[in-house]
Amino acid sequence: MSTDNFFPQHSVESLYGEHHGWLQKWLRSRIGNGADAADLAQDTFVRLLTARTAPSIREPRHYLTTIARGLLIDLFRRRAVENAYLEALAARPEAYEENLETRHLILETLIAIDAMLDGFGPRTRHIFLLAQLEELSYVEIGQRLGVSVTTVKNHLSKALLQCLLLVED
Amino acid sequence: MASPAARPMPKNCLEMAVHWYVQLNDGDADDNQRQAWQRWVAESPDHARAWARVEKLQRQLHGVPMDLALPVLTQAGVERRLAMKSLLVFAALGFAGLGYEFSPLGADYLSATGQRRQVLLPDGGRLDLNTDTQVDVHYSSSERLITLRHGEVRLLTAPDNLVPVPRPLVVATVHGRVRALGTDFNVRLGEKSTTVTVLEHAVEVRSRLAPDIAQRVSAGEQLQFNARQLRPVRAADLNVSAWSRGMLVAIDWRLGDFIAELSRYRSGHLSCAPQVAELRVSGAFTLDDTDAVLANLTASLPVKLRTFSRYWVRVEA
Repeated sequence: MSTDNFFPQHSVESLYGEHHGWLQKWLRSRIGNGADAADLAQDTFVRLLTARTAPSIREPRHYLTTIARGLLIDLFRRRAVENAYLEALAARPEAYEENLETRHLILETLIAIDAMLDGFGPRTRHIFLLAQLEELSYVEIGQRLGVSVTTVKNHLSKALLQCLLLVED
Repeated sequence: MASPAARPMPKNCLEMAVHWYVQLNDGDADDNQRQAWQRWVAESPDHARAWARVEKLQRQLHGVPMDLALPVLTQAGVERRLAMKSLLVFAALGFAGLGYEFSPLGADYLSATGQRRQVLLPDGGRLDLNTDTQVDVHYSSSERLITLRHGEVRLLTAPDNLVPVPRPLVVATVHGRVRALGTDFNVRLGEKSTTVTVLEHAVEVRSRLAPDIAQRVSAGEQLQFNARQLRPVRAADLNVSAWSRGMLVAIDWRLGDFIAELSRYRSGHLSCAPQVAELRVSGAFTLDDTDAVLANLTASLPVKLRTFSRYWVRVEA
């Protein structure tokens, strides 16, 4: 019978058996890379396993693609930050010695900050970074970007509040 | 620390912390302001907690070499937006490979009873047609207009990159116009009214005969309207769009309503006897085999089917 049961009960095993291949194909059609698709499909089921929500899922494929989409965005974020980091390293005047652990920590921090600034336009992002990282005064930032000090403060406040909401105690 | 940390942080404390931070970082900050800030921090544990977050954020930000952080974070923001755009393109191509049709700039689409169709719009947006639906797609120089003449559609919009100035995207019915504000939404045309359900972002709705009144409907909300007026916005049943995945999802529905809904997907006559119409139904059902759905009902509810032919079915006690 093709009809789902009333209030279906799933286990992660049964979901994996029924949908893993499909999910991998779904991911592959989006990123065109078989290895990434396989990893992300696997990670999706790991999430499902830790979330312990499997038995109550009504529409497994919808649920799985929602998780997978989030992981896909994380992957893009990570790749974008890594690429930009390598480029910035290459652009440094003198060679920069770092061990793998330091690099890992720096990248994790950058990825976390990038995630906090999600959803802000380029201007807010730029103002926040100039104020926080270059430690420019509001007047200097305003001059550089051709906006008023009030505008600088507004953008900075907005971005800071968003970050503080996401920082854990 | 354990007990205050367990409470959620009041947002206004964080807003105050931001306010103080922005003040104190101004080159003009003086001792009076610094003392006032110290009093504020000492005033309550929540204030202290909020300020501790500010400091934690600062530590985090300065844990990265400055000459790396700025270019990386500026560039990463741009690159990721581009990546997301390419993802949308891939998604569209993926759909095309799975039997989507590309829409020319002006076209009419029909779906038969029990059929669903998926159309890829010229701008990359996606239009799903539910059972027994008729739409016209017309992209002019000023507007991207989708006219729903019968049935139900779900629209996943794409930004208008075809022309320098993006054109508004509108779904029109005999009852009025729904303007997309970057979104995913469902429009169902009934005999007396149209119902729009927003799944992502928002739309703006205007009745045909009262076009000066606009109502914004946001994600998770639903609005019913006819040619004269808009009903109040209410929380949506987000399962309304399950049909676009080939499902009908019912949660504690009257059997009478369930059968009426199911009958949209079947040719011929399907009805429900009043004696059983108040029974309750819950579940997720595939729309591609309504015979199986009906058989399933007889297994789980005290009902039987009276069938004269494939095209005449009545659900009875």
